[in-house]
Amino acid sequence: MIPFVAVVSLRNQESRTFRLWIPLFLVWLLLLPLGILLSPFIFIACLACRVNPLRGFAVIWQILNALTDTELDVEHRSAGMSFHIL
Amino acid sequence: MSEHRRQILQMLSEGKISADEAERLISAFEEPAAAKSSPADSASAGKRPPKYLRVQVDSEGDGGQEGPTKVNVRVPMQLLRAGVRLAGLLPAQALHRANHAMQEQGIPIDLTQIKPENLEELVDQLNDLTVDVDQKDAGTKVRVRVFCE
Repeated sequence: MIPFVAVVSLRNQESRTFRLWIPLFLVWLLLLPLGILLSPFIFIACLACRVNPLRGFAVIWQILNALTDTELDVEHRSAGMSFHIL
Repeated sequence: MSEHRRQILQMLSEGKISADEAERLISAFEEPAAAKSSPADSASAGKRPPKYLRVQVDSEGDGGQEGPTKVNVRVPMQLLRAGVRLAGLLPAQALHRANHAMQEQGIPIDLTQIKPENLEELVDQLNDLTVDVDQKDAGTKVRVRVFCE
């Protein structure tokens, strides 16, 4: 399944943590009509570059599905950041 | 196995053997089957395929002025496989240009040789891989760990 939520945690010098929940499903809903509008141009560009467009869309879909459980944590003495895709 | 058990239970019902003898006979027939299956189960349980690639970087600051920095990255293996498939879609001309640009920067990686089957072989061996890099340079100690879990 494509990820629906991402969590971003920010820690500042005073050790106060701000946590932000990003609803990725809204991002996908916003990108969906844009993708539909651009799909003919992407299809033509794939054919021009000799790339199978259906296979390209399938691989991009696999990448989106594989993003779940990706984590990135950076900790420093003065600040910290954590990014987690649920 | 069920045929042996049926015969034993029939002999027990006919009074040819006692209940203890029937139990010993059933246990004797079931033990070899359990011994055959357990090594395979333990082997398969110990060799679970890795699900994530982890990269951990620990950098100690210089004299405490900047402080230590820790970076922890966890990437699902499925993302790596999908990325390799994406690289396989790129036209050969683009791959050659990318190879040339990387070689100019001193990175001797041939993108045309990265194929999904190569990644599967690498992932199979990554289960026991742990890379530790310790570097001490101008008072800064950096430790990099790459492993799979």
